[in-house]
Amino acid sequence: MISKEDLEHLAQISRINLTENELEKFPKQLDKTIEYIDILEELASDDSVNLDLQELTFEELRMDEISMSDDKQLNKNITEDGFLRGPKMK
Amino acid sequence: MTKLDDLLAYEVVEGLTEGHFTAEEYVISILKRIEEVEPKVHSFITLDTEGALSSAKIIDKKIREKEDIGQLAGVTVGIKDNISTQGIRTTCASKILENYVPTYDAAVIRNLKENGAILLGKLNLDEFGMGSTTEYSRYHPTHNPWNLDYVPGGSSGGSGAAVAAGECTVALGSDTGGSIRCPSSFCSVVGLKPTYGRVSRSGLISYANSLEQIGPICRSVKDLVMILNIISGKDAMDNTSMPSSPITVPNKSNKLNVAVIKELITGSDQEVAKSVFSATEKFQEIGFSCEEVSIKNLHYALPSYYTLASAEASSNLARYDNIRYGFDYPIGEYKWDTYFSNVRENFGEEVKRRILIGSYVLSSGYYGKYYLKARRLRSLLRLELLTLFKKYDLLIGPTMPILPFKFGEKIDDPIKMYLVDVNTVIANLAGIPAISLPIGFSNGLPIGLQIMAAPFEEQKLIDASYELEKVIHIQRRPNSI
Repeated sequence: MISKEDLEHLAQISRINLTENELEKFPKQLDKTIEYIDILEELASDDSVNLDLQELTFEELRMDEISMSDDKQLNKNITEDGFLRGPKMK
Repeated sequence: MTKLDDLLAYEVVEGLTEGHFTAEEYVISILKRIEEVEPKVHSFITLDTEGALSSAKIIDKKIREKEDIGQLAGVTVGIKDNISTQGIRTTCASKILENYVPTYDAAVIRNLKENGAILLGKLNLDEFGMGSTTEYSRYHPTHNPWNLDYVPGGSSGGSGAAVAAGECTVALGSDTGGSIRCPSSFCSVVGLKPTYGRVSRSGLISYANSLEQIGPICRSVKDLVMILNIISGKDAMDNTSMPSSPITVPNKSNKLNVAVIKELITGSDQEVAKSVFSATEKFQEIGFSCEEVSIKNLHYALPSYYTLASAEASSNLARYDNIRYGFDYPIGEYKWDTYFSNVRENFGEEVKRRILIGSYVLSSGYYGKYYLKARRLRSLLRLELLTLFKKYDLLIGPTMPILPFKFGEKIDDPIKMYLVDVNTVIANLAGIPAISLPIGFSNGLPIGLQIMAAPFEEQKLIDASYELEKVIHIQRRPNSI
């Protein structure tokens, strides 16, 4: 069961404010979803199964090279001395 | 003669090349069609009339000057609004991105442009691709062109509806758990989720990276192949992309072995199952062998899918912190604890639910119980399917277990909504290709057949779809609107 406190905790770690309406109806809805996925418990824990569907080798990775976008097209909070400007926090 | 706005993609290219009409005339006919039906269907979030007309003029000039015009010259394409388009806002149908204008084109958009395709604008979806009806779009729902009281499917509902309504020649969608195939089935058009890795995801705004692919939605199998061949291939910006051989159509095809998935039939509405049976008979008539098979792990597919998709979503959507994307607030002085939560209150309810479930299944104590088990199921399911593909070329069943339904029918019950995806998530979990092909109607509502093949065996999917399309003539565009 997801209590209102559990929900508030999940919301806090997910950094989401919930409206009064959501606080009201989400516990029941999330409960139903978790009840639904609970069926996964029936599956055996088997370490022999390879969990990776696709494996990449180091050689296949591209170099992490920086290329600049056209500044004029960047959307918001632009820029001071070439840096993106973010909100001031306290 | 067929009306201009009714032409298929390959007919557009032929008509232009042979000088029957200009690209501008064609685009104007499509824009008129949009003007006529858009107030009823609501497929678009953003329409780029000017951009489309100016691209058409460039093509006409190239034709006059006998320059190369590309394989998709003049074909108008609607783009799902979670695929980045340089200079055209890309909202993901979310308020969080209402002012976001990408500074670069997705790889698939570059491919389309290089081949002369004309971008018409951005199509509606459920917010961030999370939903099966477009009712979770933060702008407006899209209506099913076959019956405006019904949902068009989702999440690429704008793409499915726009193609069926003739508002574009073809469209791109993305498919994380059925988001191309569901609207294709509900709108009586053809839609393909390619093998994971066939098409670059660079520029696709992430929801669940390990599951999603971009793919075409069209009114014919031949059109679908044209688009697929253009957007496929290895791309340096997406390390999971891989080279693949082009598909040919028509192809000198062999007689294929088809298996009908028993569980998908028994879980479907009677009318849907009936249609699938008659499609199976058609396959037999054209010389394919058909048997019935059972998939042992199918039962766990949907819970695994929702566990993995929500987990990946909770991580991907953490980037919407209003620093790199979001609202233009005054620089102000904000409290660290509340700034992000306040901004992220602007997500819609379904997105919030999935982020919360994602945080839950990834929390310590639950990670092993849900997330790891879901990944394990995914591997087991893939192994089981690969074994079946040693014996059979194709696995088939209904794309959707039910007929299109009315607005509001499922919106208050998330589980009811999730169950709609039960047949389609299999292909995303296993990374295999799957197509939805129109096979009939019940009470005027479309029914689609889902065909799945082994990884990178799209040619077999296309061969079977092309053969079936030839013998069952299903209307792709409604007369009523």
